[in-house]
Amino acid sequence: MISGDIEQEVLCLVRSVKKDVRVDSLTRTTTFADLGIDSLDALNVLFAIEEHFGIVISDERARAIRTVGDVIETVMALVPERT
Amino acid sequence: MIDVAITGIGVISCLGRGKAATLDAMRTGRSGIRRLQNIDASALNCRIGGEVALGSSDEAPRGYDRFTQVVLIAGAEAAEEAEYGSAGVEPDRVGAIIGTGFGGCQTIDANYKRLYEQKVTRLPPTVIASSMYNAAASALSAAYGARGVSFGIVSACASSAHAIGLAAQTIRYGLAEVMFAGGADAPLVVGSIRAWEAMRVLAIDNDHPERACRPFSADRRGLVLAEGAAVFILESLEHAARRGARIVGVIAGFGATSDAGHLTDPSPDGAARAMTAALNDGGLSPQDIGYINAHGTGTPANDVSETKAVKQVFGAHARDVPISSTKSMHGHAMGASGAIELACSLLALNAGVLPPTINLEHRDPDCDLDYIAEGPRAGSVTAFLSNSFGFGGMNAVLAVRTAR
Repeated sequence: MISGDIEQEVLCLVRSVKKDVRVDSLTRTTTFADLGIDSLDALNVLFAIEEHFGIVISDERARAIRTVGDVIETVMALVPERT
Repeated sequence: MIDVAITGIGVISCLGRGKAATLDAMRTGRSGIRRLQNIDASALNCRIGGEVALGSSDEAPRGYDRFTQVVLIAGAEAAEEAEYGSAGVEPDRVGAIIGTGFGGCQTIDANYKRLYEQKVTRLPPTVIASSMYNAAASALSAAYGARGVSFGIVSACASSAHAIGLAAQTIRYGLAEVMFAGGADAPLVVGSIRAWEAMRVLAIDNDHPERACRPFSADRRGLVLAEGAAVFILESLEHAARRGARIVGVIAGFGATSDAGHLTDPSPDGAARAMTAALNDGGLSPQDIGYINAHGTGTPANDVSETKAVKQVFGAHARDVPISSTKSMHGHAMGASGAIELACSLLALNAGVLPPTINLEHRDPDCDLDYIAEGPRAGSVTAFLSNSFGFGGMNAVLAVRTAR
């Protein structure tokens, strides 16, 4: 899996939780706050991502996540390299 | 404003059983948080909590969940102190209002596990009656022959503060002469802990359980789940005086508000309005308040929000009011927490001690009030507030006069 795929999948997952977000308006520096994602939505985004990628995002890592880019980097750090 | 007397206190938590153990913890700043012993927590990320130690002689009658078991222990201690047995109260004029957040969740968890995992096809006939949210209030009313107004109250972490406030109102309005009021919860089951883990608000420090809960500290990580119960005997001042009962405190005011906003994010405004309402109801001004028992969960969100709320209500006086979170010691007993905290506060203040916030070692610039971080403090307090703010944006504050 290449990083571009991960990026697209993360964007889709964000949109699956927050349906009124336009995927093409998302960039890596877009914050959850910019998207109107509140604390409970953010938990749901991380839950969807954990389920989809089969990973566990620790509370420590989760606390540091502010932007879409933070999410993508977290997933890339946790998803095992695949060919 | 009509004051309501407290003539009996009963409490059981991870700090111990009864008033003496609870007061000892307040005097010494002792934590009751430990590694979980009563359940197999090996699969959980969070393996700590505030468990109540029950003895072998504490076996509950068939049909009682653990939350009912602990409320009966607390109720017995309160009734004994109030000398309820010899009070000669008309049974129709006594009731029980008990708050809970999770009700009989141990019964549900254990039995549904058998249903889904072991594929049993029959469940015990006691499951419904022992898991219903009014089971604790029902058991108290039956145990003490209280035939007046009784019910359970559910408002998440504010449940028992609402219960005590409404029981006081019941007496004010003349619907009862004596009330058993308080809260009970026993949420330390695998299903519930797993669900709390998903909210990412638990302080998970499995190697240092007693240091895990750090309200108002910059390095706070969240709350620690706990169980327990506290019960108070409430009666009108005239009734207490007529029968010569010793008054250990007075419910002076009750304030309840709703955020009418977010499901889980606390609102400083909702909390502030509840504190103001309690002060107004009790005919008290901020200057009369010598201590605030904070809701103080130790989550990043609550502690900042509550600090803002205190500033909103107390203004320039905010920095002069000692505040503490006793949850740093007994954890968050959910729907029972308001009642347990009222017990902790009253016992300590009546003994001339302001309970500390333990584990507050790193100042947070957004939490800049006096949280009694240095340890238990000597002082004479005549009136205090006890704050409880529940998920769902439900806030209940009690304004209480001590026996000093």
